[in-house]
Amino acid sequence: MTDYGHDLLFGSFITPSAAGAQQALRLSELADAEGLDLVTFQDHPYQPSFLDTWTLMTWIAARTSRVRIVPNVINLPLRPPAVLARAAASLDQLSGGRFELGLGSGAFWDAIESMGGRRLTAGQAVTALSEGIDVIRALWDTETRGGARVRGDYYSVEGAKRGPAPAHPVGIWIGAYKPKMLALTGAKGDGWLPSLDYLPEGVDTLPALNARIDAGAQEAGRPASAVRRLLNIMRAEFSATGTGFLAGPPSMWAEQLAEVTLNHGISGFILGGDDATKTQRFAAEVAPAAREIVAAARA
Amino acid sequence: MAELGIVVDLAATSSGAELSELAQAAERAGLDLVVVAGARDEAGGDEPADELVGVDPWTVATWVAAATTRIAIGVPSSTVQGPDPSDPRIPIAAVVDKARESLALLAGDRLVHDGWVVAPAGADADQVRSLAERGSLVVVVPVGSAAEVERVAALLPERPRSTRRAAVRARRRPGIAYEEIPPSLVESAIEPGDPGYRAVRSTYIRGGSPGLVLRPRSAAEVADALAFARRHRHLPLGIRSAGHGFSGRSTNDGGLVIDVGALSTIEVLDEDARLVRVGPGATWKQVAAALEPHGWALGSGDYGGVGVGGLATAGGIGLLGRAHGLTIDHLRAVSIVLADGTQIRASSHEHPDLFWAVRGAGANFGVVTEFEFEVDEVAEVGWAQLTFVTTDLEAALLTYGEAQRQAPRDTTVFLVTGAPQQGQSVIQLYGMVDSSDPDTIIARLNPFVAIGQLAQQQVVLTSYRAVMGTAADVGLDGHHGSGEPVGRSGFLPAMTPAFAREAAAALRGGRLRWFQLRAMGGAIADVPPEETAFSYRSPELQVTALGAFHAEIDEAWEPMEAHMDGLYLSFDTSPDPDRVERAFPPAVLTRLRELKRRYDPDGLFRDNFPLLEGARA
Repeated sequence: MTDYGHDLLFGSFITPSAAGAQQALRLSELADAEGLDLVTFQDHPYQPSFLDTWTLMTWIAARTSRVRIVPNVINLPLRPPAVLARAAASLDQLSGGRFELGLGSGAFWDAIESMGGRRLTAGQAVTALSEGIDVIRALWDTETRGGARVRGDYYSVEGAKRGPAPAHPVGIWIGAYKPKMLALTGAKGDGWLPSLDYLPEGVDTLPALNARIDAGAQEAGRPASAVRRLLNIMRAEFSATGTGFLAGPPSMWAEQLAEVTLNHGISGFILGGDDATKTQRFAAEVAPAAREIVAAARA
Repeated sequence: MAELGIVVDLAATSSGAELSELAQAAERAGLDLVVVAGARDEAGGDEPADELVGVDPWTVATWVAAATTRIAIGVPSSTVQGPDPSDPRIPIAAVVDKARESLALLAGDRLVHDGWVVAPAGADADQVRSLAERGSLVVVVPVGSAAEVERVAALLPERPRSTRRAAVRARRRPGIAYEEIPPSLVESAIEPGDPGYRAVRSTYIRGGSPGLVLRPRSAAEVADALAFARRHRHLPLGIRSAGHGFSGRSTNDGGLVIDVGALSTIEVLDEDARLVRVGPGATWKQVAAALEPHGWALGSGDYGGVGVGGLATAGGIGLLGRAHGLTIDHLRAVSIVLADGTQIRASSHEHPDLFWAVRGAGANFGVVTEFEFEVDEVAEVGWAQLTFVTTDLEAALLTYGEAQRQAPRDTTVFLVTGAPQQGQSVIQLYGMVDSSDPDTIIARLNPFVAIGQLAQQQVVLTSYRAVMGTAADVGLDGHHGSGEPVGRSGFLPAMTPAFAREAAAALRGGRLRWFQLRAMGGAIADVPPEETAFSYRSPELQVTALGAFHAEIDEAWEPMEAHMDGLYLSFDTSPDPDRVERAFPPAVLTRLRELKRRYDPDGLFRDNFPLLEGARA
């Protein structure tokens, strides 16, 4: 039993497709109205059928009033960290503190290189992500006097002007699966944002990966609870009778998700599929019931 | 009289709700521009490190765009590309471009980066007028509340509404006399701030930002467009038929484009003589569709989306090439507008020199407004698409070369491959057999099957129209190519072991991203070389390679080029000004240059292999 005690967040994973830009907006407005906590967007700038994720997120932030906006996850190799830090702080300010920064080290290196990004090995990309986080946090820190200084192998700033500061402490949520990335998430992340489909044994993989994050946190002198754990769920269907994990009525989803929270410490569930009906039921029927079960168990 | 707008100071307005409210108030009040100021980019780096950086201009501009529907949004020009690509403060250019495209798609193209002047806060009507009289496009006044927005909107009640708003005019490029566009072209012209610009700025393969696209609908209007172009010799000039040009740059950055896409009629002049008249803006897909009901076809290239104008003035090495010759071999006459605006007809007996030059070097001599072709009777054809895998690329190239050499002239097969992956090459053959007999088609293709292990095959009895018809229709949204293609071309007299070795080595080296062999010979070689400016009649193959960088491809290409003669100018984008010497044999080049001095002495047409030295833009 591992429960890090965070309040529960429910969100939607929305495809930033250029052809379906209006649909992305409609799904976000629905999430906003139905009380979902997060709308999240993948970031693949080299994918020609997608809109620029940053532009779409800003657009949606301006057209919603309550829901939080999160890239899931931003492609650091194509979003240089100082540019990203300032854009993120700006969006957080404009939206009244409704932005969290999902961050990834990059994949698809051919595509990244073809767009003018730098090709890195997996190991180099972890180091680059770590340095990138240092740059971002240094620029957000407007309390410290003097320019920001980070000396890294991949990203350095030498006396860069700081600011702007975000409107609220923006969480850095890291998409991580491999040991070094998990250790980095524990050491420097505010959240962990993996996708269920990429976990080899599904939720049964969670204890091992959580343990690596916990160890990384401990080594950095941070409590394990400093890192919120979230989960993207791409495959889930409502049905009248239950046939398995997230294949059944809303009440069963709620029980299953509450169990994942109480046993594995996952406190954020983000549902994919670009389906308005499913999103609406997730917000209206699953989220409150799951919250109730978790609250009762924690009390 | 100038237009009016507001400036919102972001240092004083950090809440998005407040920002939206001011922008919406300005839009309601009929103002033209909202400038977001105080957003500062750090890349300049002059200020002391203690000073804080303001909010990100792009994010703010997007926010304002989302809150409004019509008003133009002014943001300071975004970061210039720095010398160090690993600088974490410099955005990646391609991502910035994508963001712009995305915002244009979401919000309409409403961003401007300059063209306004800021009046002092609280400025009155006289102050605004005096700024406007100095020639500024838009005067913007700083505001902090919706009430102030309304006060500003009332300052110039007599503001006129020009055909192009200041926000559009603000995006005009320097050096273009926009106010002097000939009256016949004003209405159809498209400039950077116009809503239709996104659809015309780029081509199939190349990204561009021309300063003005002129769209003539007749030969007389082409002459008007050329008169305008003659007054803008300092700018690049592109001539666009359907926007597939590769070496012919039918877009540019800040220059002029004359788009003859509207000249696209296809009509039969003489049924018995199979004589048809075609406009340069028609695509080969349209031509094939118009000819098929008569039982005719006209060989073009290998893709139906390509326009008539560019191809039919360069050559046209296509899928019916061996059976029926080059596209230009079917040309009987052209109507052409010369650099000085003269409209003339050229054929074997009218201006025969010019008619010779147009067939192979036409881009240097004028804008053809009508092509008269004698087309062929072509019934159903065999159309084959075969995919092979092999670990012996060299042997495959040799086998292909031999099979194509031995093939009767009814058979034209092209080969495409790329860099081998883990030692394995994927080779695609696609070709046409001008025969309606299935057994003949299969017999013709059989020798090609030995080039490797057959992974996929499709052989059908179909029409030339159907093969051209697979090209996608472009539609109103236009082309959206990006970047600059890097290609090299050459004519190969015959496939030899030495060439196959060099080509295989170059492909294995990974510097050629795409490699194509087009079969020639047959009817192409029947025409005496002196007949047309296209002079390389005897080669068996035309070779094209694409790469990523000029220096890189040159290194890979050079050893192959030693085995080749000349080049096909449609497929070569080398920036080397001397490369024209390779495009034509010396005697042909000399004759072309003499004609160039006669027909276009000032080098107005210099976009695709300019014949006169130093003329390449």
